[in-house]
Amino acid sequence: MADKERLLKIFHNMMLIRRFEEAVFDFHEKKYFSGHYHLYIGQEATGASVMASLKKKDRIFSTHRNHGHIIARGVKPSSAMAEILHRKDGTNGGRGGTFHLSAADSGMPHTSALVGGAVPLAVGAGFASKMRKSGGVGVSMFGDGCLEEGVVFESMNLAVLWQLPVIFVCENNTPGGVLKSQGGNNTSNMPEGRVIQVPKALGIECHEVDGGDVRAVDAIFSECINRVRNTSSPIFIEALTERWPGNYYSYPRLVTGVTQISMAWDEMDIPEENANWFSLHDPVLRFARQLIDDGTMTFGDIAEVDKDTTQIVKKACKFALSSPEPAIDDINKHVLAAAV
Amino acid sequence: MRELSHSEALVEAIRECMDEDQNIALVWGSLMGVGSDNKHIEHIKTDFGDRIFHPPISEAGIAALATGAAMDGIRTIFPIGTASFMFRAWDQIIHEAAAAHYMSNGAVTVPVVFHVLHGLRGGGSVQHSQSPQSMLWNSPGIEIAMPSCPADAKGLMRTAIKSNNPTVFIDHQKLNERRGRVPSTPYAIPFGVADIKRQGTHVTVVAASLQVVHAMEAAEKLENEGIEIEVIDLRSLVPLDEESILSSVGKTGRLVVIDEGPPRCSIASEIIAMVAEKGISYLKEPPVRVNRLPVHVPANVTMENYIAPNTDRILKAVRALNI
Repeated sequence: MADKERLLKIFHNMMLIRRFEEAVFDFHEKKYFSGHYHLYIGQEATGASVMASLKKKDRIFSTHRNHGHIIARGVKPSSAMAEILHRKDGTNGGRGGTFHLSAADSGMPHTSALVGGAVPLAVGAGFASKMRKSGGVGVSMFGDGCLEEGVVFESMNLAVLWQLPVIFVCENNTPGGVLKSQGGNNTSNMPEGRVIQVPKALGIECHEVDGGDVRAVDAIFSECINRVRNTSSPIFIEALTERWPGNYYSYPRLVTGVTQISMAWDEMDIPEENANWFSLHDPVLRFARQLIDDGTMTFGDIAEVDKDTTQIVKKACKFALSSPEPAIDDINKHVLAAAV
Repeated sequence: MRELSHSEALVEAIRECMDEDQNIALVWGSLMGVGSDNKHIEHIKTDFGDRIFHPPISEAGIAALATGAAMDGIRTIFPIGTASFMFRAWDQIIHEAAAAHYMSNGAVTVPVVFHVLHGLRGGGSVQHSQSPQSMLWNSPGIEIAMPSCPADAKGLMRTAIKSNNPTVFIDHQKLNERRGRVPSTPYAIPFGVADIKRQGTHVTVVAASLQVVHAMEAAEKLENEGIEIEVIDLRSLVPLDEESILSSVGKTGRLVVIDEGPPRCSIASEIIAMVAEKGISYLKEPPVRVNRLPVHVPANVTMENYIAPNTDRILKAVRALNI
């Protein structure tokens, strides 16, 4: 049973991610940054719970949908937001953008926006950790679409063959999605409809979990990460996360609006449109309800977290907007590392 | 000085580096191809068994694994085998390994070495004969080494392993068994320093890898005809030793570049473009490219020889100049 402090931290991070992503949407609407981007709304329970069990020595490799991971890992929202705006003070100095937020000093060395791109890198981190006996784990965060890529099969095979300390966390955000054939955006296309069949075929220990349920994710992940650490055998977790209606389209739409946290305790606040999402699936609201129901938090506590995280994100936005453009004179810097 | 084969020299460099540094791993696919040269690696296997990993056939997966491990400070050497197989891992090499340092604004380094055997090897046919060097050169963030002799192979491999950048080490199957003098102590040959393999006054012939051997053979024959060619062995493409090329062309006024890739956007194109930009006034006549012909590599060896840049074609190209 997770202690109170841990649950509060997870909730804080979930709220922080939610407010952050709403602000990212707003910035994109205002054309403060251009190009395609992806929001982590609807998957906060998985990312925040996973990060709660990780240690400094672990190496995390994320995807195009990385904002939630990097924030839950503890990277400053101000640096993350500055990166999304391609500014000098961003995590990558404005060279990565929304697709590639990374922070080597926080154990997130590289984020790949290519589907499946980061999965074998995490296996490499497990390989390095095993070689130097650091006790760290390679953590691969990815979506269900990755299982359509051949290199992901290769990665899992390598992790099993060489018994590497790697944990594969597949955030399957297809459930509830509108299929491509019905005009919706990308969802995975597997004959079985379930990605977990693939790692099972390789003999990897596999678990599936409701990715919208913090306690469930936290319980299974904290148990699994310890086992990976101790046995150096990979584990695959499929977290089923209901697709946020804003992700039904190729560009995110804030169809559910700025989250009104009072919906957690006051049903009257839930609008008719997307009522199903608010009542059953929104992981932030779900967890808030749980915390209230079991007496861990009061309405007031939750409102306080909302206020705090909203404030942090406001500051982050201000910081990002005031950060200068990267110096064009530095354009040739870091193409190659200096000779040893 | 003792003689070693190209393969032996390369393996010696790897062994010396692995001996010095516990954080070097070898994901041993086929360092020297599938021929008998592979035996040279056996003693490394005995000495460093726990740091040698025999991989499944997963070029993409292993290239990225090696990249991920390198990001975490494990210097990983991944011999991909035939250079053609590298395309399987193209995405991982270009988008992840080569990009990470730049994209992280210098926070991450990727000390990984990809070793490949490029070129026409006698019956390799379409899918086992690629020379990917110019395609690699087109990507920022990769160092490229191309030795032509055992002594250079040893010194350049040491530099590749110690480099903090992804390095593609491009060897040639036809060089594996060639022997040469190799110092027995460890030494590094820095990248970006071309070697003038033969001094000459009439024509600058620029080459790398096996084509240096062909150029040297051509030089012997041309000497009897009173033509002195200067053979510049690039040794590395990235960084490129522009100065040595320009100063040689400044001396000879003529430039022939030999390159095993097809001509468009090739090593030869790039060298000639560089000289055109920075030293066109040196040229007494138009520079010449000797490339593989722009066709796929046929299995038939007579046809393969016909499309290859070789000693005869170098001779022909030089003799056609107005010396």
